[in-house]
Amino acid sequence: MEPVDTRDDSMDSAGLSPWQLGMRRFRKGRLGVIAFWVVFFFVFVAIFAPIIVRLLNVDPYALDRNSINDFGLPKGPLGSMSWNHPLGVEPGTGRDILGRLIYGTRISLLIGAVGTLLSTGVGVILGMVAGLRRGWIDSFISRIGDVALAFPSLLLIIALANPMTQRLESWGVPRGNTAKLTYILAILTIFGWVYMARLVRGQVLSLRERDFVEAARSFGAGTCHLVFKQLLPNLWPQIIIFVAMSLPGYVALEATLSFLGVGLQAPTASWGIMLGDSVRYYRTDTAYLFIPGGALLLLVLGFNLLADGLRDAFDPRSDRQQL
Amino acid sequence: MKRNRIIAAIATAAILISACGGSGNGTTSGEESGGRSATADGIKDGGTLYVLTFQEGASNLDPQRVYTGAELGAYGSTYARTLTSYVPAAGKDGAGVEPDMATDLGTHSDDLKTWSFTLRDGVTWEDGTDVTCGDIAYGISRTFAAEVTAGEGPMYATTYLDIPEGDSDFGSAYPGPWLATADQQALFDKAVACDGKTITFSLKVPVADFAYTVSLLAFGPVPKAQDTADQYALKPFSNGPFKIESYEPGKEMVMVRNENWNPESDPVRKPHVDKIIWQYGLDEAVIDERMLADSGDDKNAIVYGGIQAENLQTVFGDDSLKDRRTDGFDGFVSYTMFNNETVNCIEVRQAIWLGLDREALRTAAGGPFTGEFAKSFVAPLLATDYAPAKLVDGLNEDGTPNLEAAKAALEKAKTSCPDVYAKATGDGLRFDHPDSDAWKKNIAIWIDSMKAVGVTIIDNPIEPSKYYATINGDRGDIMRSGWAADWANASTVIPELFGKGGGFNYTNNESDPNFAAFDEKVQSAKAETDRAKQATLWKELNQTIIDNVWAIPGSATKSQNLVGSNVRLGYQWLPFGWYNLGAIGLAG
Repeated sequence: MEPVDTRDDSMDSAGLSPWQLGMRRFRKGRLGVIAFWVVFFFVFVAIFAPIIVRLLNVDPYALDRNSINDFGLPKGPLGSMSWNHPLGVEPGTGRDILGRLIYGTRISLLIGAVGTLLSTGVGVILGMVAGLRRGWIDSFISRIGDVALAFPSLLLIIALANPMTQRLESWGVPRGNTAKLTYILAILTIFGWVYMARLVRGQVLSLRERDFVEAARSFGAGTCHLVFKQLLPNLWPQIIIFVAMSLPGYVALEATLSFLGVGLQAPTASWGIMLGDSVRYYRTDTAYLFIPGGALLLLVLGFNLLADGLRDAFDPRSDRQQL
Repeated sequence: MKRNRIIAAIATAAILISACGGSGNGTTSGEESGGRSATADGIKDGGTLYVLTFQEGASNLDPQRVYTGAELGAYGSTYARTLTSYVPAAGKDGAGVEPDMATDLGTHSDDLKTWSFTLRDGVTWEDGTDVTCGDIAYGISRTFAAEVTAGEGPMYATTYLDIPEGDSDFGSAYPGPWLATADQQALFDKAVACDGKTITFSLKVPVADFAYTVSLLAFGPVPKAQDTADQYALKPFSNGPFKIESYEPGKEMVMVRNENWNPESDPVRKPHVDKIIWQYGLDEAVIDERMLADSGDDKNAIVYGGIQAENLQTVFGDDSLKDRRTDGFDGFVSYTMFNNETVNCIEVRQAIWLGLDREALRTAAGGPFTGEFAKSFVAPLLATDYAPAKLVDGLNEDGTPNLEAAKAALEKAKTSCPDVYAKATGDGLRFDHPDSDAWKKNIAIWIDSMKAVGVTIIDNPIEPSKYYATINGDRGDIMRSGWAADWANASTVIPELFGKGGGFNYTNNESDPNFAAFDEKVQSAKAETDRAKQATLWKELNQTIIDNVWAIPGSATKSQNLVGSNVRLGYQWLPFGWYNLGAIGLAG
């Protein structure tokens, strides 16, 4: 890709950075913008969850015995949806599903965001080092990456969940969810950095031969200058697209792990825990099944479309019909 | 001992022998016995009966190693005959024993330490050879072989039989038939002596109901020539109306009729079907779905594992299923243990009990169908030893929390035991529980209702399969558990759960000043030969436990089942909490 793209539209693009150019194009794609607002909505909900929950008067942890019958099933139709419980109540306890969904957003986005941040950070640094230093360091980092990719990661995550969480606890990480979160994030980083690192390495290998880098070097620019002033500005678009594309994967992975019982532990509300619980009630409380599933679908779809929109905007070679 | 199925994920149920007399509890309508499916209406002999289960296989097929209530009943009624057997009948009649391979219920000496039984004529193995007294003695001797039976089955042979103590794995001088020297074998042969068709047991303790003991499959015969040691669990030799044609864990087991079973020799079993096929490893939700649909072969199916709580409303809200469903106590009492060493403050324990929302816990499990609030650690079905205890003052009958009383108790703790009070209201008490689906919700209820009292709960979920092994070493402040007697005697409950050296006493109650007197009484109750006096002692001891709040009784739990529409004689067999498998017939 061109470091600065000048082929584009009729608009006056002189003096605009690739970032500004990309954003201008992104704003023109309607689907991408809608996706952005969907994602923004979820992020907003996650950040202000306690306030929203209080405003809507839906406590995710309060038990409501009156909305469930003697069998523990919701009394009303559609999982007992009502003004008090807009999305109904959880079978067994009568806890509000909307409240739990809102709090679950926090967990999902926290794991998604921190997981992506860590793996991207590690990936960029290692990719940069490999691309700039080349030689044995490059081979070493690349081989480690190959090994990490060769692991059956999901299997490993599940198999190691209990022993590793215990190990973390014995190392002084607070018991329970803190240890479980640490484990999940650590393992996501360990297996997640490789793709980012490969991408950055490839880009750096090609960029470093470019005239503007050569020029900077001939003026005696140090590594720091090269990295921060010459290389990174040209890498940002790719990094952002990559982040937007891997985030939904991590969000879905949280749900998968909690569903399989190696994620976070109850009574914390998480979408995966809700999904796992709701499956048991598919016959008696079908509405419940669709709520966490629907939310997950919406968020992951939002991120994917956002990533698509960003890619279309920042990669001029993708010549797609903008919606 | 028996583990709760919710914990062990194995459907275990109890052997309960209730001397008749109503317990005044439970549903006693026709529904409990299963309506039409419990009668013999229109049975046509023949056909194939299916057993659907989520289990990956039999918990064990080796008679000396089976200890799961439902399976003891299922295997005993099909391929493993014993000296005595439970009466094949619905309701309380099923709790008595009658002679099976033996001609009578045995004769005993005055001191109840010598018991002898005489074998019937015509009792044969599946190859047509006679079942001999030696086969029975050999079978029992296998219990002592730790390397083969691994202590999985009941251990009454080692605790009752008059064999000196020694240094083999179970503390006996006899190490089982494989490792025994001639001298050691002689010790066993003296305790279990054969004279023609008469087998005589010498016991080191008086046992009044030994006729019940020998109904356990662990006291059943094994032909030495067929014994494949630990491999015997894959293909046990049959002496009953069915034999095992094939057994593939994770897939299925096929039981077919044993032509060499002689009906005249067997007053207990009246088989109807030709074949029984166990289908293993099915998804529980799929099982419920198939049973409700009731189509094809599923009309001839029964379920091992019960109805899932979330489907109870569907099953019990639909009158068209009236003839196909059963509901009854399974013999278990669930309870919550305190670590009385760390929570050594009765006021705090009382506050927790008073403030606990037991009603919400029961509703989360599926409501009143899942059990009744227990008033004793002894199940109501153990009628002789059961008496509802006087519970803590102020406890709400309907299971809802009494916050005022709970807070008042906690207030008292502030002065009487400030350390425990500070811990309970500050850092919090660690609650150990198996990390099961049910407990993901239960713990929320615990945390919520304790918060209302002012007590902090630290959640500590433990992988279900490692739960008991874990709390055996590292105990929290509060732990959950469940128990069923495997005997008509609370001696299999109170000493085990609360006595000194009780195999399953996790309560650390030895540190309580009231423990010494309690345990002394436990020891005298164990040695009491007058059954009525003994029952009084058990009731008093149960009251002592409750007065000291060493643990909180939860629910006397129930189980529900649904059978296919062609199934007949599918009654819940009281001693085992499941069907009398071998007696089931098919209509149409």
